[in-house]
Amino acid sequence: MNFFSTNIILVENTLIVILLALSIQIPLRLGVFSFAAIGYYAIGAYSSAILMLEFGWGSWEAMFVATVFATVVAYLLGLVLARLTGLYLGMATIAFDLILVVIVLNGGSLTGGPVGIFGVLGSIELWHLAAAVIIVLALLTLTERGKLARRFDAVREDPQLASSMGIDVVSYRRLSFLISGALGGLAGAFAINLRTTISPESIGFGLVVLGLTVIIVGGQASWVGAVIGACIFVWLPKLLDFVGDWEEIIYGMVVVLAAIFIPGGIVGLFLEAKHRRQSKRNRSVVEQVSALLAGEDEHESRSAAVNEGAISDR
Amino acid sequence: MIQDLLNALTLGSIYLLFALGMALVWGTIGILNFAHGSIFMFATFISYLIAERIVLPLPVILVIAAAVGAILSVAVQVLAFQPIMRRAKNQHSAELQILIGGIGIAAVPIAIAQRATLSNPFGLGNSSFQVQIYEIGDVRVSNIMIMILFAGLVLGGGLAWWIKVSRQGLALRAIGVNDEVASIMGINKQRLALATMALGGALAGLAGALLTVYLSAITPESGDALLIKAFAAIVLGGLGSIAGVIAGSLVLALSETLVLTHTSGTWVNAVSFGLIFLILVVRPQGIFGRKNVVRT
Repeated sequence: MNFFSTNIILVENTLIVILLALSIQIPLRLGVFSFAAIGYYAIGAYSSAILMLEFGWGSWEAMFVATVFATVVAYLLGLVLARLTGLYLGMATIAFDLILVVIVLNGGSLTGGPVGIFGVLGSIELWHLAAAVIIVLALLTLTERGKLARRFDAVREDPQLASSMGIDVVSYRRLSFLISGALGGLAGAFAINLRTTISPESIGFGLVVLGLTVIIVGGQASWVGAVIGACIFVWLPKLLDFVGDWEEIIYGMVVVLAAIFIPGGIVGLFLEAKHRRQSKRNRSVVEQVSALLAGEDEHESRSAAVNEGAISDR
Repeated sequence: MIQDLLNALTLGSIYLLFALGMALVWGTIGILNFAHGSIFMFATFISYLIAERIVLPLPVILVIAAAVGAILSVAVQVLAFQPIMRRAKNQHSAELQILIGGIGIAAVPIAIAQRATLSNPFGLGNSSFQVQIYEIGDVRVSNIMIMILFAGLVLGGGLAWWIKVSRQGLALRAIGVNDEVASIMGINKQRLALATMALGGALAGLAGALLTVYLSAITPESGDALLIKAFAAIVLGGLGSIAGVIAGSLVLALSETLVLTHTSGTWVNAVSFGLIFLILVVRPQGIFGRKNVVRT
């Protein structure tokens, strides 16, 4: 308990970073290379703060409206950028994030200009955030099992093939913007309620790098990656003092090394190991079956079934 | 009015020198080098460290900055981008991993320079070069402005000509169109990629030193903003066209100058970000670009 109360800020940060990282990860899982999550976060945080301070709204109403607003902006952004893919989409979404920084810098008394907004006192507590994260993770688990997961993989790995199989690729991409907007907005709204301040500096390029670091090192394939990454990068500076001093340099190096050696992240390493073990086992099963069975037809159908099992387990 | 135009052209030449290297690398060997901005800054930073100790004439400083830029750029290519390309499972994922790796690399020199300068601006004032201002009518021109304009004109024009006429330029364009066929035709992609990265880095270093003398100081973070601006200039003109980069840089500088003279100045950065957005939505292939049809 003592440990918990001394580190409450870090626990908060971890949970907020998890939400933000998931907001980057969902589009990536659908092959949409978008960094706009930072922008949604900014919209969520700033609009909550403005609604609460200027209009005297309660935390929950402000959070709801801010999240919906971020989601709507995300959806519109998805429509506008529908023609772009790959690098162009990545850079356009970075431009979107940076435009928002310019806008809040010029927002006058509403956004507080370069100083930002402070003194936003909400009624939201840590356990609300924890509950929200658990609900989000539970919902995301549904997208990582069975049919939906295979559709996600197909849309990412081969959009042409996916659409020829009857998967509506365009709708899935729009959906990814929608979910990303909701998660990013929610992260921002929780952040302003728990931290009470927001400034243009905190929604700049540094946050893009942090979110990316978390996802690249943790892994893109599953929410587990976002959780692992968030835990590593929020707690590392606390656990190792020298990391705090050299934070940016170490993070930069870690991102490069991860991009070179483990493009799938830590989760990717586990998946690969699991897959290798499984395909080895399946191969030996196929050999046994073919040795035991004399009948041609039966042999074929059995090994086909085994192979299918291997694919759907992946 | 003429003064504004001249300032815009100077700014445009700086953008051009910076964007040329980036566009050359991206348009031919397909690497969007996110570390280009921090190479620009760090090359200037190293020249600043040297110029602090020894008083040097400006041409020597420019050569040092260009050389450091080239070395850093080659190091990034050999240590990060080549391994990524070797290990990546396809072209598409290689592109994205290179962008991500570049973002990681970019953070390192910026953090080092920030620590060393305590985030203060640094300049190249300690040289035997003196900025002189000539007044012609009511237009003020400094000698460094003339140098920047000259460098932009010569290097921009020269590079466009070289790409079009020389055998290496042809080889580079061939890689840009289809690198597999190009290597069947006997083009050594690896070596050409290194040379292109070196050239891009040298241009970035040169732009950094010139800009620093012109503004008298830059901050460690200035590379990031420039990177986004160069990206705007490239997509504006259309990837794969040197004429496009020249046009894009000038249009960007002119519109920024226009905003700067008509507003309080805090909206200047929104110009480049807005332009990226507008162009990518309205005409993704840029003004000079060819249409590249990709379905889904």
